[in-house]
Amino acid sequence: MPKLTIDGREVEVPPGTNLIEAARAAGVEVPYFCYHPYLSVVGQCRICMVEVVGQPRLAIACATPATDGMVVKSETSERTKEAREAVMEFLLANHPLDCPVCDQAGECLLQDHAATEQGGQFATHMVETRRTFPGYERRLIGPHVIQNQNRCIHCSRCIRFTREISETAALTYKSRGNSAYIDTFNGEPFTDPFSACAADVCPVGALTVRDFRFRKRAWKLRATPSVCPGCSIGCNLFLNHHERVVYRFTPRENPEINATWLCDHGRFLADSLNAQSYLHPHHRAAGQLSRVTWSEALRALGFDLKAAHTLRVVGSANLSNEELFLARELFVGHLKGEMVVPVWAGEHRRMKNGRGEWLRSTDAHPNSQGARRLGLRIVDPAGLSRFLYGAADLTIVLDPTAHPVLAEEEALQLLRVSPTVAFARTEHPIANVASWLLPTTSMACHDGTLTSSTGAVQRFSAAFEPPGDVRRTAHGGMSPTVPTLAQPYGPPAEARPLWFLLTVLARELGATTLDLPDVGSVFALMSGREKGFAGLDWDKLAGSGDDSFRERQHVG
Amino acid sequence: MSTKPILSVPTEQLENTTFDATMEERILELLKRYPTTRATLIPVLWLCQERYGWLAPGVIRAVADRLGESPAYVEGVATFYTMFYTKPPAKFVLQACETLSCAVCGGKELLHHLESRLGIKPGEKTPDGVFQLVGVQCLGACGTAPVVQINDDYYENLTIERLDAVLDDLKGRS
Ligand code: SF4
Ligand code: FES
Ligand code: FES
Repeated sequence: MPKLTIDGREVEVPPGTNLIEAARAAGVEVPYFCYHPYLSVVGQCRICMVEVVGQPRLAIACATPATDGMVVKSETSERTKEAREAVMEFLLANHPLDCPVCDQAGECLLQDHAATEQGGQFATHMVETRRTFPGYERRLIGPHVIQNQNRCIHCSRCIRFTREISETAALTYKSRGNSAYIDTFNGEPFTDPFSACAADVCPVGALTVRDFRFRKRAWKLRATPSVCPGCSIGCNLFLNHHERVVYRFTPRENPEINATWLCDHGRFLADSLNAQSYLHPHHRAAGQLSRVTWSEALRALGFDLKAAHTLRVVGSANLSNEELFLARELFVGHLKGEMVVPVWAGEHRRMKNGRGEWLRSTDAHPNSQGARRLGLRIVDPAGLSRFLYGAADLTIVLDPTAHPVLAEEEALQLLRVSPTVAFARTEHPIANVASWLLPTTSMACHDGTLTSSTGAVQRFSAAFEPPGDVRRTAHGGMSPTVPTLAQPYGPPAEARPLWFLLTVLARELGATTLDLPDVGSVFALMSGREKGFAGLDWDKLAGSGDDSFRERQHVG
Repeated sequence: MSTKPILSVPTEQLENTTFDATMEERILELLKRYPTTRATLIPVLWLCQERYGWLAPGVIRAVADRLGESPAYVEGVATFYTMFYTKPPAKFVLQACETLSCAVCGGKELLHHLESRLGIKPGEKTPDGVFQLVGVQCLGACGTAPVVQINDDYYENLTIERLDAVLDDLKGRS
């Protein structure tokens, strides 16, 4: 393996590593605009120039492979500094410098470089007026992408993305030289199924995501590592959130699954995590739905469960491994009920991994593989119908969005026959037939793991506390349900994560081994008992996301 | 000299362009001459411009389909070169050389004369669609400067009077 020195630091890297990556390994940040680890190297922007001792000319780090004994100077070279300043002068000659009104500000490579490396100091020899692209400053080029051609630095990342990754080759340069601009064929809508990734890879604010634009400044957002709920592939992502609102999903690097990409379908599910249609537990008696407290609800439910001779549970492949495990242990193991997990094929989705291979979805759920690993009975729509036609004293629906069939009149009629307990978060007609309606929270509010169709057990983390106060009280119930938060965060609510409700139910039912204080303990119990999860360590599954490309591109 | 006018087929008629047997034969001929299909793109675009007068979106799409490229890619190539017309050109495109040899031999004056006689600026078309003016760089005929290329023909050693006569003739024939 080649051993080289970069800015006085020695580093050994695998053969073929370029100088940008080698420098990173040595702890030196070489700036770049056109380079992207999952796109071809074109060496177009020239900001990554470094001095290779012994070579007369500066070399572009992105296209120079590390070789043994190389001595590279980046920050420590005067010539490099001068060259980069010149490159910046050219790039900024036509750049509008409209950072205050640009939504990319805070996550713009050009701005980062201008502000950090050059300390905001610039000289310019420009006397001409800036070249502009009238009519192309705020142009919706597709359903999700807005173009401002004036800001473009002609790095061609977006073009390469559509040619090499999404394979639509929908974007191109038109015209040439100073007047070159980004466009689609004949100005037709940019309907690439990965269109927002083109905005992601744009290092500046030339392409921005319409759905996120001006909703929140980038630096206000916190990023919590999570997993896409959109299909069985299980792309890694960050929940970008602020004050208990999820604003967007951004890709989190995982070479095995989604490299640094997200499909538009999954990406724009972000807002769906904010929905909270049911805020309080409700009980239906004599046709009348009335609000009850959690203690009343869970206690009464405990009695009903004990009294039920036949219990059936509709699980969901949208739930985490821990939730499915708890449900199985409690309802099937402890109460001898029957449980099925409906799986819906949904639309076909695909994703390209870091080796350029397409991964294909098996179904529309993030955890069908987990349900299988837990030995749960998977059913198709016909199987689900048959299950619902069977008689039962009590039915539990853990997630009404588990399958579209559950929203159909036929299923609702069947659920009306005997009492039904519905755990639900978003508006669903099941609320009209359920005898118990217990509000749950989104995946943004709790930890858990999901098993991807490639077999990876991937952890997602709680981004913020659920609405209301869920701390446990000493006597085993839950704390008083009066939320202590101020109104701006939404209406006071008592929705609880499902895993938590299941542990409390376990206590009510005397299944003490399942009465666990946190998801990590549930996972530990599960990995101890289940072959499919044996040997996995909860803490090691946590993706901090620190090493993700998205994050690291903003390191000084 | 009898420069042939460019006859641009209207956009609508080119919307769903398909190549007829003659075109297909010539494309196959070209494909044989180049190492990759992609390398054939520019000659095929030339062929189309010759045939349809310009490269309408429908033509670009047909070329893309034929050569297995994305239409955006083909349009990118077509718009890179100023000699490919992606808008319908006038019947006669006057390409006045603006480079040094011509400039010192009266090229500048020729261009000014064209501007005032036609009432248009470089890059524009006359309202009747007969003439279009373009300033171009060295045409490689410095020895016979000043030069104006009209469509595919060179008009060399020009004077204002000779240029006027040429324009009158072309106008009359259009
Ligand atoms: S639009 Fe953005 S990604 Fe595309 S070339 Fe311009 S700066 Fe690069
Ligand atoms: S990053 Fe090396 S030239 Fe752009
Ligand atoms: S300068 Fe006009 S032809 Fe060379």
